[in-house]
Amino acid sequence: MDKSGTSRQEDTAVATQEVFRVSNLSVRSRGKTILTQVNVTIEANQVFGIIGPSGAGKSTFLRCLNRLSDLTPELKVDGRIEYHGRSINDPAIDPDDLRARIGFLFQQPVVFPKSVLENVTFGLRHLRRLHRAALAEAAERALTEAALWNEVKDRLDDSALTLSVGQQQRLCLARALATEPEVILMDEPTSALDPKSTQAIEDLILSLKERHTIVLVTHNLGQARRVTDWLACLCVREGGGTIAETACCDALLENPQCQEVVEYLGAGDTLTSS
Amino acid sequence: MDNIFTGLAGLAAVLAALPLVIMVAGILVRGLPAISWRFLTEQIRLVGADGGIFYNLIGTLILIGVAILICAPIATGLALTQAVFLRNQAARARLGLFLYTLNGIPSIVFGIFGFIVFVNYLGWGKSWLTGGILLAIMILPTVTVALIERIKALPAKYVEAATGLGLRPSQVIWSVILPQSWGGLITGSLLGLARAAGETAPIMFTATIFAGATLPHGIRESPVLSLPYHIFILAQDSFDPAVGAKLWGSALVLLALVFALSVVALPFRLRMHEEAHG
Repeated sequence: MDKSGTSRQEDTAVATQEVFRVSNLSVRSRGKTILTQVNVTIEANQVFGIIGPSGAGKSTFLRCLNRLSDLTPELKVDGRIEYHGRSINDPAIDPDDLRARIGFLFQQPVVFPKSVLENVTFGLRHLRRLHRAALAEAAERALTEAALWNEVKDRLDDSALTLSVGQQQRLCLARALATEPEVILMDEPTSALDPKSTQAIEDLILSLKERHTIVLVTHNLGQARRVTDWLACLCVREGGGTIAETACCDALLENPQCQEVVEYLGAGDTLTSS
Repeated sequence: MDNIFTGLAGLAAVLAALPLVIMVAGILVRGLPAISWRFLTEQIRLVGADGGIFYNLIGTLILIGVAILICAPIATGLALTQAVFLRNQAARARLGLFLYTLNGIPSIVFGIFGFIVFVNYLGWGKSWLTGGILLAIMILPTVTVALIERIKALPAKYVEAATGLGLRPSQVIWSVILPQSWGGLITGSLLGLARAAGETAPIMFTATIFAGATLPHGIRESPVLSLPYHIFILAQDSFDPAVGAKLWGSALVLLALVFALSVVALPFRLRMHEEAHG
């Protein structure tokens, strides 16, 4: 087993389009290592899952992919992240354009204290100059795509804070979808939700991957099994998180090769069975 | 031991509140008889012994109105610089020190500064604009700090969510940060204005005269009347009982104005408190 972790992805690689290629990514914050030597490739129209113990840097990794990490000045990001073959830190790349193409769904739904309609068009209104009618059309399309249209079509002008948490999370998804991003990064999007809303989000993830690439951080191994195509397990090694193993979903969950992953999955099983 | 401590603390509170109560009561008792519709709507007559304070009230409102119009955009820029743009802790600390130093400058120094720069050097003479500018500089720290506190209390998730959608920093500021922190601007402004409304020192050499001015016309040689300077002058003449009544009336009107500004600020401050701790 080599030090950078086993990767069986290359062996089975088919001619799919590569969206992200991360090489030697390291992240430090105030002298403390968060991620070290992360190498991974993420391909188009897949649900790429990231599992691993708390504190292994899963969220930090996700934030690096669309440079949301720029907002935290104490994070020192080293290494190379390519998006469609170009480094995202290339001076010619505008981080705001990058984020418009790579949406983000947070752990807790973040709705603005505005109406449902204003929330769903929040990004769109600022990124493109659209007429009211076009805006309303885009809002309906995004809400339909997020399976929320039927529930909110009669209360578009109500405050988004009156929606249930599950609805709010789908509203956030609709808001991200409205700007038609290619990739959607999801940071434990169902951890604050009840089972029914979780089910709704999982169904959405499966339908969205036809047109989008999804990177999903999850704590829920059942969820990983249900929705992901590829899985990477981030484990803490030498004080920093690194990808211990990458494999297609079933292979990683059924037959993990790396001792840390075996231990993590074992702990997860005990947790779910108890 | 605890009881003694509680008792001493309570005594301190009473000692602090007592002068305020006595002062307000004194001004109310002596000022109320002077207050009438005529007093508020007529101009000064007989060197303050008769007539009202209409143009003094208008002048003070002009001064604080101009002050806030000048101060608000500058305070907004300063607060955004401090709370959003400056990433360097040392630079933030320097800007903070600047604000606290500015806040500590005695008001008479502003008066002298304004006299040298605007009245003499620029040759404006006494002008409402000079008064507005000086009061704006004086309240700048109060307004800026209130806005900074408000921006810092804003949950980071909103900024992250908007940035994650691909909004530019300027769009995040206009659509997320400012709409959700304008309460801080209002609170700071009202508290600053409550203080500015009563200041005499910065305006007495630069912007206000005792009698003979109505509404300003142009900038040069265009003073206004004002409440605090009116009180200052009348206080020197108050052995005349007619003047005395007008003096207390003016003091009451000024007190009411300041009180009103503080009360209007109260709901915004309470809401801020709730959001910070609720």
